[in-house]
Amino acid sequence: MSDKEENFISRIKEVESTNLARDEIRDEVIETKKAVEKDNDLLAEKIHQIFKNYNIKSFDIVGAIGAGKTALLEAISEKITSKYRVLVICGDITTRVDADRIEKHRAETIQINTGRECALNAYHVHQIIKNKDLKNYDVIFIENVGNLICPSDFILGTDKRLIVVSTTEGEWVVEKHPMLFEMSDIAVINKIDLKERLGTDVDKMVSDAKKINPKIEVITTSAKTGENIEKLMNLMGL
Amino acid sequence: MKEELIKIEEIIKNFDTIEKSDIKALMLRVFTKLKSRLENYVGDYPTFIEPVYLEDNVKIGDDVLLGPNVYIGANSVIEDYVEISNTIIFENSTIGQNFKLENCVVAKNSSLNFKNFNIKNCVLVGPAKSKNELKSIEF
Repeated sequence: MSDKEENFISRIKEVESTNLARDEIRDEVIETKKAVEKDNDLLAEKIHQIFKNYNIKSFDIVGAIGAGKTALLEAISEKITSKYRVLVICGDITTRVDADRIEKHRAETIQINTGRECALNAYHVHQIIKNKDLKNYDVIFIENVGNLICPSDFILGTDKRLIVVSTTEGEWVVEKHPMLFEMSDIAVINKIDLKERLGTDVDKMVSDAKKINPKIEVITTSAKTGENIEKLMNLMGL
Repeated sequence: MKEELIKIEEIIKNFDTIEKSDIKALMLRVFTKLKSRLENYVGDYPTFIEPVYLEDNVKIGDDVLLGPNVYIGANSVIEDYVEISNTIIFENSTIGQNFKLENCVVAKNSSLNFKNFNIKNCVLVGPAKSKNELKSIEF
């Protein structure tokens, strides 16, 4: 490969948005991006089949930093690890803070530090599962990197995707982030214990989620008090 | 883990016996015992999939994916766009730009100073400035 070609590939890797590409390379950038997305989708399909073959229930959990994804996983792990063998894959740009928290509730954890990448992709998940004996697990949770944008670019091959938002993010958070609600199966509105104090219009959040995705199941929870955690687990089939 | 690493280093000194050695089993034992150690590297924010063990003063370039099951010896350099999994790299080695290594062992002091190389299930011994200069054996 010539230096020119290498520079071109490097440039493609750096271009996150097509409109940043110069006119001369625009077509190739678009084709490359399409190919990468297709590769992710194919790998996600493969992962889904692998999980099915091993009879593993799998969940991708997305949401902003501080919405309560980890707290919900702590609460759920606490309740189910006596019944199921649980693996939690935690995505964060750095640290294993979340993995350490969840591990205290008897779930096995693997941390992925994504560095400058703002979402997990199917390749990350596949790298883990191909190195694991999946006979040892009944449930796999994938806690995605905390944000409400990037994870919409990559499906991971799980049975269900949960989106977690919270009353502290304000009642506009749902309508401002439609992509992830469109592609999720369950919407969790967490920190319901703070609803009165914050004055958040939770009804609006519920109706916005339903408007964006009429098929989505919406549930309000408090990971802190345990409110509706059992109901959430029922929705998840756990 | 250190014990297995010493044995692997001994095995790779003699290319003729690698194929018949228990290198695969030893690598598996290293990976089973491997815990992440990420505190002491120099560079940007790579992607790490646990477990990844970095000895002191490992330099890591941009857009690098390490893990799972990666051990990198002290003073090694990982150039840009590298991906490494299930691999042991002994100290003072350099992995060139856009290398993809899976299930490999890189001998110590192996400066692999070339680009764009994708290989699996191999012992690699440098120094090498091109693929042709690289000593490698599959296992």
